[in-house]
Amino acid sequence: MTFALQFLIDVLSLGGAYALMALGLVIVYGILRLVNFAYGELIMVTGYALFLAGGTGLPWLVMAAMAILVAVATGILTEYVAFRPVRAKSVTAVLITSFAFSTLLQNAALLFISPRPRNVPLPPIFSQTVEIAGVVTPMRNLLTIAAAAILLAVFAFLMRRTVLGVAMRAAASNFTMARMLGVPANLVITSAFAISGLLAGVVGILWIGRIGTVVPGIGMEPLLVAFIATVIGGMRSLSGAVLGGFLLAFIDTTLNYTLAQDLLKFRDAFTFGLVILILLWRPQGLLKGPATGQRT
Amino acid sequence: MLEVKDLEVRYGAIRAVRGVSMKAEAGQLVALLGANGAGKSSTLMCVAGALRAAAGSIRLMGEDVTSARPEAMVRKGVATVTETRDVFPDLTVSENLLLGSYVHRHDRAGVAADRERMLQLFPRLGERAGQAAGTLSGGEQQMLVIARAMMTRPKLLLLDEPSLGLAPAIVDQIFEMIRVLKSSGLTIVLVEQNVSKALQLADTAYVMRLGRIAAAGTAAEIAATTDLGALYLGG
Amino acid sequence: MNRHLLTAVLLSGLVVLLVVATEALGVRVFDRIATNLCVSLVLVIGLQIFMGNSGILSFAHIGFMGVGAYVSALLTIPAQMKGMALPDLYPILQGIQVSPYLAIALAGVAAAVVAAVMSYPLMRLSDAAAVITSFALLVVLHTVMTNWSNVTNGPRTLFGVPKATDLLLAAGVAVAAIVGAVAFKESRTGLLLRASRDDEVAAAALGAHIPHLRWRAFIVAAFFAGVGGALWGHFVTSFSPNAFYLHQTFVILGMLVIGGANTVTGAVVGAFLVTGAFESLRSVEARLNDLKLFNDQVVGLTEIVLALAMIAVLILRPGGLFPSREIGAVLARAFANKKKGAA
Ligand SMILES: Nc1ncnc2c1ncn2[C@@H]1O[C@H](COP(=O)(O)OP(=O)(O)O)[C@@H](O)[C@H]1O
Ligand SMILES: [Mg+2]
Repeated sequence: MTFALQFLIDVLSLGGAYALMALGLVIVYGILRLVNFAYGELIMVTGYALFLAGGTGLPWLVMAAMAILVAVATGILTEYVAFRPVRAKSVTAVLITSFAFSTLLQNAALLFISPRPRNVPLPPIFSQTVEIAGVVTPMRNLLTIAAAAILLAVFAFLMRRTVLGVAMRAAASNFTMARMLGVPANLVITSAFAISGLLAGVVGILWIGRIGTVVPGIGMEPLLVAFIATVIGGMRSLSGAVLGGFLLAFIDTTLNYTLAQDLLKFRDAFTFGLVILILLWRPQGLLKGPATGQRT
Repeated sequence: MLEVKDLEVRYGAIRAVRGVSMKAEAGQLVALLGANGAGKSSTLMCVAGALRAAAGSIRLMGEDVTSARPEAMVRKGVATVTETRDVFPDLTVSENLLLGSYVHRHDRAGVAADRERMLQLFPRLGERAGQAAGTLSGGEQQMLVIARAMMTRPKLLLLDEPSLGLAPAIVDQIFEMIRVLKSSGLTIVLVEQNVSKALQLADTAYVMRLGRIAAAGTAAEIAATTDLGALYLGG
Repeated sequence: MNRHLLTAVLLSGLVVLLVVATEALGVRVFDRIATNLCVSLVLVIGLQIFMGNSGILSFAHIGFMGVGAYVSALLTIPAQMKGMALPDLYPILQGIQVSPYLAIALAGVAAAVVAAVMSYPLMRLSDAAAVITSFALLVVLHTVMTNWSNVTNGPRTLFGVPKATDLLLAAGVAVAAIVGAVAFKESRTGLLLRASRDDEVAAAALGAHIPHLRWRAFIVAAFFAGVGGALWGHFVTSFSPNAFYLHQTFVILGMLVIGGANTVTGAVVGAFLVTGAFESLRSVEARLNDLKLFNDQVVGLTEIVLALAMIAVLILRPGGLFPSREIGAVLARAFANKKKGAA
C-alpha cells in the first residue's frame, strides 16, 4: 500500500513535469510541423533568470514570475530569430536554425555566466518533506503535481473556451484553412511560442527545484523527454502529448524500480530505441493526432 | 466585383495556371468548368490568397489584392470553400462555426444572429452542434463548411466542387442552398464537375483546359456551343 | 575536360595546396590545424553524401564517427596498454592488434555495417519523423558509448590510442572522400536520389525505390564518418564519448550548411571557411584569457559566432555559398560564356 502510494506520487510528479515539457514542444510542432530544438534552452534561460534575480532580494514568487516571463520572451525571440525568417524556405532550414539557436543560447550562458553550476534561490518548501499515510515524500513533488494540474486545467480551459484557443487548435489541424477564415498566422505562431515559453518557464522552475542549480546544458534532458513523450503521444495532439508525458513517467519510474543498476545506465538507449520503433511502426506517433493538415 | 488578369500560378516548375483572365460582376454566379487538373482549384486558391500569383493581377472591387494574404482576403469579404472540404475534424460543429466569425468576434450579438440564420438554413448542423466535425457525413461536412464560410459575412463566395462525392439527393440540396445564397445577392464563383447543374444556376461561365481559359461566355452560350463531353473526357 | 572531373580535380587541388603550404611554412600549429581540417573534410563530405543527395537532415552522422574512433582504437591499442586503458575489456579482444591503417579502413567498414543494420527501416520516414529518429539514433549511440565501459572506458577518457594520423594521411583520405562524393553524386544512385529530393513521385516513376537509395547513401556516409572518426582518434590519441555528440554535430553541420549542403564544393568550402574562422576566434579567445579581463575563462565565443553565421546564411542564402552548381560547372559555364563573348 505504501509502495503503491509512493509509486503513484513518483509517477504523477514526474509525469506532471514531463507532460508540461511535452505540451510546450507540441504546441509549436502541432501548428508549424516544426521541431524546436531550442526548446530545452527555454528551461535553461528560466534557471539563469532565477539565478540572476537571486541578487535582487525581491520576494521569491516575484523572482519566479520574472524568470517565467524571461522564458516567454525567449520563446518569442526564438520565433523571430530562428523561425520567422526561414519559415517559408524549407523544413530542414528551420530545424537547423533552431538547432543553431539552441547552441547560441547555451554558449551565451557559458560565455556570459559560467560553465560551472550556479545556485538558484529556492524557498524552503522545495527542500521540505511531508509524510502522507506513511510515505515520506519531498514537498516539491506535491508542488509539481499541483502546478501541473492547475496549469493543464487552465490550458485546457483556454484552448476550449477562448476564441484564440479555438483558433490555435484549428490552426494545429489545418493552418491554411484557419488563415482563410481570417485567423492571422503571425498571431497564432507568436502565441504558440509564448505559450511554449510559459510552460517551459513553469516546468523549468519545478525541474531546477529538484537539483537546485543550473548549468548551460540543463535543457538537454527536458528536450529529450519532450521528444519521447511527444512521439508516444502522437506528435500533433495536445492531449496526446500530456498522456505521452505521463506514460513516459510511468515507464521511467517502473524501470527505476525494476532495472538493475548497471542496466539503468542504458535507460536512455532503451527509451530512444523505443521511440525509433514507435516511429517506424507509426510515423505519426503512437496515439492518433488530428486528421490531415498541411504546412504553409 | 472580381477581376482576374493574366493570372499565372506555379508549383515549382509546373505552371498550373497560365494567363487566366476572368470577371465576376456583383450578384452574379460565375461557373468555372474544366476537366480534372485544368487549374480551376489553383485559380480559386490564388484568388483566396492561399497561393501566390507568379504573374498577373487580381482586383477586388477595384482594389489590387494580388499579393494579399488569406487572412486579409477574408476581411475584404472573400470566403472560400475548398475542394477538400476542410472542416477542423477535432473541433465541434459549434467551434467550427465560431471560427467562421473570427473576424467579427467582437460583435457578439451580430455573430449570434449569423449563427441562428445558418442553423435555420442548415438545421442538421444545429442537431449536431456539440459533435466533433470529423464525425459528420460528407454532406453534413459540406453544409458545415458553407455555413462556416457564410459566417465570415462574405461579399464574394468561392466554392470549389461542393457536390464532389456526394449522394444525388444531397447534391440537389447543396445546389438549392447555392441558389438561395445567390438570390440573397451574394456574388459566387462556382467550380463544378456537375456541368449542367452549374450552368442552370450560372450567369456566365468559363471553361479551363490545361491551365488556360478555353472558352468564355454567358451560361447559355457555353451550354449551347461548347462540346462539354469532349471537354471532360478529352481533357 | 569533363566538368565533374574538373570539380574533383579542383577540390583535391585545394587540399594539395593546403598540404604544400603547411609543409612550406613548417609551423607545428599550422600542421595541427591543417590535419584537423582534413579530418573535418572527411566528416563533412560524408554528411554531404547523405544530406546533399537525399535532402534529409541527419543527426546520427557524428554517432558513426564515434563508432569508427572506438573500433579503430580497440583494434590498435597495444595489448600491454589495454590492461590499463580498458581494464574490463572482453578477453577475446585483448590480444587483437592490427596496423592503424588497416584499422582505419576497418573502422569505416564497421560504422557502415552498424549504419546498414540500424537504419534500413528508418529510410522510409521523412519530415519530422526522420529528423527525430536520426536524433534518437545519435542519443542511442551516445548512450551506448558512454555506458559500455568494457570497450569504451565509459564516460572517461580512453587513453593509449597509437598516433598514426599525420597531415599526408588525412589529406589523402580527404582527397579520396572528395572523389568518392563526386562519383556518388553522379552515379545512378546519386542521380535518382537527387531526382527524388525534388520530386518523389517522378523519381518513383523512373523505377527508383527511394528508401533503398537513401539507405545506400546513408551507408556510404557512415563509412566516411567512421573513417573520419578513426583518423581523428589516431591523431589526438585520447578521447571520450562527449567528443561525438551535439557539439561536434553542430560544427560539422555548420560547415555543410554554410558551404551549401547540395554540393561537394559547398562541403569543402564550408570546412575550409569554418575551420579558418574557428581557429582565428580560438586565438582571440586565448588572447582574452591571457589578458585576464574576465573572471572566468572565455569560452563559447567561437560557437556563438558559428551559430550566428549559420542562421544568417540560412536566412540570406538558404542553399549556402554553393547552393546548386559545383565549382567545375561554374567555371565551365563562365568559360563558355567568355568564348561566346569573344566570338
Ligand atoms: N500542390 C501541388 N503541387 C504540385 N502540383 C500541383 C499541386 N496542386 C495542383 N497541382 C497541379 O496543378 C494542375 C492544376 O491542378 P488543379 O488546380 O487542382 O486543377 P483542377 O482543380 O482543375 O482539377 C494539375 O496538373 C495538378 O497536378
Ligand atoms: Mg480542383
